[in-house]
Amino acid sequence: MPGPLALYHLAALALLAFGILGLTRRRTLVGMLISVELMLNGAGLAIAASSMLSGANAALGQATTLFVMGLAAAEATILLAIIVVVFRRFGSTRTSDLTTLQE
Amino acid sequence: MMEIITRLVFGLYLLVILGGAGLAVFSANLVRAFVGMVATLLGAAGLYLLMQSPFLAFMQLLIYVGAICVLIFFALMLTNAYQGGDESAPAPLSKFARSLLAGLAPLVLLLPTVLLHPVAAKEKPEATPLAELGKVLLEEYTVPFELISIILLIAMAGGVFLAWERRNR
Repeated sequence: MPGPLALYHLAALALLAFGILGLTRRRTLVGMLISVELMLNGAGLAIAASSMLSGANAALGQATTLFVMGLAAAEATILLAIIVVVFRRFGSTRTSDLTTLQE
Repeated sequence: MMEIITRLVFGLYLLVILGGAGLAVFSANLVRAFVGMVATLLGAAGLYLLMQSPFLAFMQLLIYVGAICVLIFFALMLTNAYQGGDESAPAPLSKFARSLLAGLAPLVLLLPTVLLHPVAAKEKPEATPLAELGKVLLEEYTVPFELISIILLIAMAGGVFLAWERRNR
């Protein structure tokens, strides 16, 4: 049986794997955004668990997780704006439609 | 006794996280994927509670479940993510196999490291007083703290600017 820290790391690792799987599997920008949020959440979880359950400075780790959450909020804001602009210009958010560079 | 209860609750939260993440990734309907993501975020909040950091759990609920979910919900609403929409058509098997390979890559690379090389860890987390966290944010790391707020401000201003509908065009 792995120790508590390894268990938290396994949860974060599962979130990372699901996130990458979703990011490559999804065909719309919104689905990809959901997967990115999963990965960011896993990162925050791993950082907080590492600081709380090892000898590291716990307050510093918690602050880092808060920074990750803040960055995730900023990223979601920008992505929402980008998705709205793309939808207005292309009429869909399918990634296969956004291929003007190929033409 | 407490040890067993802790493990059981951890397993429950882990189930919520894995089930939610599976729904978020594999569901053909984007609204269901969204609900799965909310379940995952709630499960992560539970894990924060278990590691003795209730403030992080509170912030997880406030920022992720409160703010980011509303943003993604708006994105769903503004892009016709109806049932039978873009995500529901079956994908070619080769593409699914490739994305499965991409998802398994971090597992294969990192799982042995996590399992075979355990870090010297505490058995029980100790709660940090909130005042200590405030000191870290406002004394040692004031500049990153302020930078985060500037980044959020710029992101929101940029979002409004990008999505602004120009009337005279």
